[in-house]
Amino acid sequence: MIPSSRGPQLSRRGVLLAAAAGPLVVACTTKETSPPEPDPLAELAEQARVDAALAAAVAASFPGLGADVVAANRGEHAQRLAAEVERARTTPSSAARSPSGAPSSQPVAPPADAGSAVALLADALAAAQRRGTELLPDLPTHRSGLVGAVVAGCACLAEVLA
Amino acid sequence: MTLSPEAVAATQTALAAEHAAVWTYGLVSAFVSDADATTRGANAHRARRDTTARLLRDAGAEPQPPAAAYLPPEPVTDAASSIAALVAVEADACRAWHGVLERTDDTDLRRSALDALTESAVRATRWRKTGGITPVAVALPGTS
Repeated sequence: MIPSSRGPQLSRRGVLLAAAAGPLVVACTTKETSPPEPDPLAELAEQARVDAALAAAVAASFPGLGADVVAANRGEHAQRLAAEVERARTTPSSAARSPSGAPSSQPVAPPADAGSAVALLADALAAAQRRGTELLPDLPTHRSGLVGAVVAGCACLAEVLA
Repeated sequence: MTLSPEAVAATQTALAAEHAAVWTYGLVSAFVSDADATTRGANAHRARRDTTARLLRDAGAEPQPPAAAYLPPEPVTDAASSIAALVAVEADACRAWHGVLERTDDTDLRRSALDALTESAVRATRWRKTGGITPVAVALPGTS
């Protein structure tokens, strides 16, 4: 329908596929989003931002599910992760690069019923937990605390929705 | 397993938090109506305490023993103060394990620390839910 607004989700899916399917898909996604050595935390920040937008839309349509807490906390995750990406980018010694361009803030259409809304949020939180856990072993110590807290924070939000 | 002195010290702090958690779950069990939840929490902390002590021994360190007693932030006299004590002790464990995450490159210890942080954070959320404490979930467990 509006493929351009689905950009962040497509790229997240791309990354998950790449992890599952190996070099072939990596080659395809590399063509699409091409910064060499992107900062892995930029991906987590974008994931958090998309989740916060979705949760805000869900909270507006279905109050009382706890989606407002998801929106607030995932928004804070996005902010903290983006700040760390920015700090690393502006630190001369760092080789990491963040994708350029301001993130688009397209309105998100919430699902039609409360049940699918909660399921969608729960899936997003599980994906964020998974991705953070995957990244954790290779992070420098000054980042592992932040990513660990984000992963734990997502687990708590899943508990809020449960 | 070889751990840096910094990682060992952080893990000892986490072990102390687990000792305190085990003790506190025992203290409040008479006041909290959800006996299953307190039993599960106590068992989880006992298991974590034991694996942490083993991990320290494997790294060549002597695990620190428990204290005789611990002081809850407020006197435990009823269900509400019991839940407050559980929230506090889980938050302490989150802080301690977050401290480990920030002080080690060891993959196994990191994984262990992340599991412990996540489990304590989720239990804290459940107790906050039970106690009607807002916000029901903290954004970045272990960081405050």
